[in-house]
Amino acid sequence: MESLIVLSIIIPWVFALTVYLAKNDFVTNSLSYLLLPILAFFAIELFFGTLPVYIHTSKILDILMDVYDFGLLFFFLYVGIKYKNSLVISLAILQITLLIMALIMMPHSDTPNIFVDKLSAFIYVIVALVGVPIVIYATKYMDYNEKNKHTFVAILLWFLGVMNFAVSVNNIEWFFALFETTTLASYALISFRKDEEAINNGILALWMNQIGGVAILIALILMIKYNGYYHFTDILNHPKTVAIAALGFLSLSALVKGAQMPFHKWLLGAMVAPTPVSAILHSATMVKIAPYLLLRIAPVIKGTLLAKLLIITTGYVFVVAAIIALTQDNFKKILAYSTISLLGLMMLAAVVGTPIALTASLVLIVFHAFAKGFLFVEAGVLEKAFHVKYIKQMRRLVERAPITLMFIFFGFLNMTFVPFGTFIGKWMMIEEVSNFLHHGSYIILILYVGAGSAFLSILYMKVLGISVRKAHGIERIKPIKLPITFNFVSVWYYLWLLVITIFIAPFIANEIVPIANMIAGNSANIHAIGLSLQMNHSILYFWQILGALILLLLIHALPYFVKFKADIVHPYNCGERFPRYIETWNFECLSKYENYLIAFSIALFIMVVVLGGGLL
Amino acid sequence: MISVILTIFAPILGGFVYGIERIVRARMQSRMGPPLMQPFYDFFKLMDKRPIMIHSFHALMGIMYFIAEWFALAVLLLGNDLLIAVFFHVIAVLALVIGASSVRSSYSVLGALRELMHMISYEPLMVLMVVSFYLVVGSFDIKDVLHYNGYPILDLPLVFIAFLLTIPMLLQKSPFDVAEAHQEIIGGPEIEYSGPFYEALYTGKWIEYIYVFTFAFLFGGSHYWLGAILVIFAFLFINLLDNSTARLDFRRMVKFAWIVLIPMAALNVILLALI
Repeated sequence: MESLIVLSIIIPWVFALTVYLAKNDFVTNSLSYLLLPILAFFAIELFFGTLPVYIHTSKILDILMDVYDFGLLFFFLYVGIKYKNSLVISLAILQITLLIMALIMMPHSDTPNIFVDKLSAFIYVIVALVGVPIVIYATKYMDYNEKNKHTFVAILLWFLGVMNFAVSVNNIEWFFALFETTTLASYALISFRKDEEAINNGILALWMNQIGGVAILIALILMIKYNGYYHFTDILNHPKTVAIAALGFLSLSALVKGAQMPFHKWLLGAMVAPTPVSAILHSATMVKIAPYLLLRIAPVIKGTLLAKLLIITTGYVFVVAAIIALTQDNFKKILAYSTISLLGLMMLAAVVGTPIALTASLVLIVFHAFAKGFLFVEAGVLEKAFHVKYIKQMRRLVERAPITLMFIFFGFLNMTFVPFGTFIGKWMMIEEVSNFLHHGSYIILILYVGAGSAFLSILYMKVLGISVRKAHGIERIKPIKLPITFNFVSVWYYLWLLVITIFIAPFIANEIVPIANMIAGNSANIHAIGLSLQMNHSILYFWQILGALILLLLIHALPYFVKFKADIVHPYNCGERFPRYIETWNFECLSKYENYLIAFSIALFIMVVVLGGGLL
Repeated sequence: MISVILTIFAPILGGFVYGIERIVRARMQSRMGPPLMQPFYDFFKLMDKRPIMIHSFHALMGIMYFIAEWFALAVLLLGNDLLIAVFFHVIAVLALVIGASSVRSSYSVLGALRELMHMISYEPLMVLMVVSFYLVVGSFDIKDVLHYNGYPILDLPLVFIAFLLTIPMLLQKSPFDVAEAHQEIIGGPEIEYSGPFYEALYTGKWIEYIYVFTFAFLFGGSHYWLGAILVIFAFLFINLLDNSTARLDFRRMVKFAWIVLIPMAALNVILLALI
């Protein structure tokens, strides 16, 4: 078991180094393809193996980690000085000071530093099945007028290794190091094109995530001062005594990493980078640290004031990000806002903390990872093969890029409709929260989930609406042939989503629920009856799952195959001349409130830290 | 057993409801109105017409709308979870909106976008209504609601009123017939359908009648007479409203739903939960 864990972490680092040094097409391509079965095998072996595993590490590694920490922070300082950004500089200095303080105060602890339980293995699986295909995709993507392909792929590979490492550490100081390493990786990726905009956005991502790092360090210091321990397992073993302020700061770092408003700008900035960057940040790595961290500490913060404030904040982001997404016209930006929105929902579910809510959160993580990876991959295909970036350029996509549009359609369906996982997550949340209405007003949460999902649905329908519009009387356009790598990755995601959805009941009941049970310490009342899913007294029958799936499959795929034998006419349009192009609504009436909405989110954010952290 | 029959014959039943509605509406305007069977006469006439379409995608979506609507009703009546049934309704909306957006017709596209505004208005309220049923009955199961011995309407008066005012949004009745708006955008999503394909859309609307009034029926609990009274009341009220009001702007509709209806329903749920 230990060796599997070490290999899952080390192999991506080794591959990354090889790719970086070799700078050879064959090496890059074959190693990326090779990583998929290797990591998938390790992750699945681990997931079904005997967990948790504790690994004691030697003292030398501890010291190495400290050295690495300082190296990292001094690098941030260097970046700040190089680009003359006072925020990065001052945050880096603050981090260095706090880190020195923490290291001086830190007592010796015998708790093992590496700790892998089912939750970590769950993230391993996502990294392997969702993250690696993006690297494979990047090997082809970078062939289209992009420079430094090998460096790029190397950073992506390394990122996967960092992510695997980050979810397996127990020591919070180490967690800080890896948290900031993901920050470094995202900085390197976002500013990859090295033009002015890219560097600005990279710096933005850097300092925003540095704030998260500062919050972790403060949490670490508080924990050492008041409790004398600084390991996740110790926190979980002493749920009553943990300093609530420390938990407040940990949650703050999760909110920053999860790009919750007002810290959402860095994730939006990621769209200037090559599309695989967005794909990897949004799906398998980086932002998923946020719900992961909250899931880790969920049993401790459950039911506290902190948890309630977090619910209000993340739920607010869920709705507001969906509303702002309506006003955007850049396809990648729309996807980014919907990620921010759904991350809000994941964290909300994690914070509610009952076994069923935790299950909902985990289900959302899996499905969001697959669907968002899928959608960003398709966004990249659109960009490179069809030169489409804005939704107004997406018109007649149904004729120009039928297969790609079909994939996008399927991805969108996954984000909101019955019977896909995102729907299941919302369904579980609403039914679970309905039980607490008797104790206090969780009613706002129901409204959040109901409203947010309605807004997301209309967002996707709006985008689809413009791309399915067909011209009339134009000869069929020959579809462009796509590279085999693109098709492989698309079909990979498509099939996974389809298979998991068909077997969603056993998948949730047998694979996801045990993780939630392990985190919560008691068992969720979710069972699979055959292929039907039972939660408490409610049943989602298999005939419903299958029926909805068939309906949606017919809606998104059938139009390409069905040709009715009927006379074809021009649109009637009330006898008027029909327009060549029709735009869509841009919801200008909402965009003027954007600043107010963000301002309110800042207020909520401060409230989480001050009241939730018990600083008053 | 009844629910199976109801599901299977929903299109026919919905047709009769529509026929009755046309008579009631006519009588309210001191007209005679068409015969009860008029929707079915229309049905046969439309089926007999030469099939004409813009393109297959569009025509297919009309048919998918009909099937999805029927399936949503089946989930509501034969399944056991009200919340799932509410989410199933979105699939029907998807088919309608995608179909209407796929043609180059300004009226159709405008109708589709307005249809989305309808969804934003009623969807959160439907969720809230289902949750309020849960609070009263203690279950999301439609069978438990129908076996509940109390009177849900007494616990949920504000939710019922909110739902009553949502029905015009669901069934495209004045003052909230924004998406269809016959005098303005000539039927919106349905303008480009004709012949048998229009028939599919038309029949889908009949099924929606059954879907919506089933929810009104649930407010009676196990007292089916009460449920029947509520349905008849809702039916007459909606027609009266339809006859006596002018169409509102879609912004007003969304505002009304979000500023008046949802807080009203939420207030009821909060009071119920606390007491």
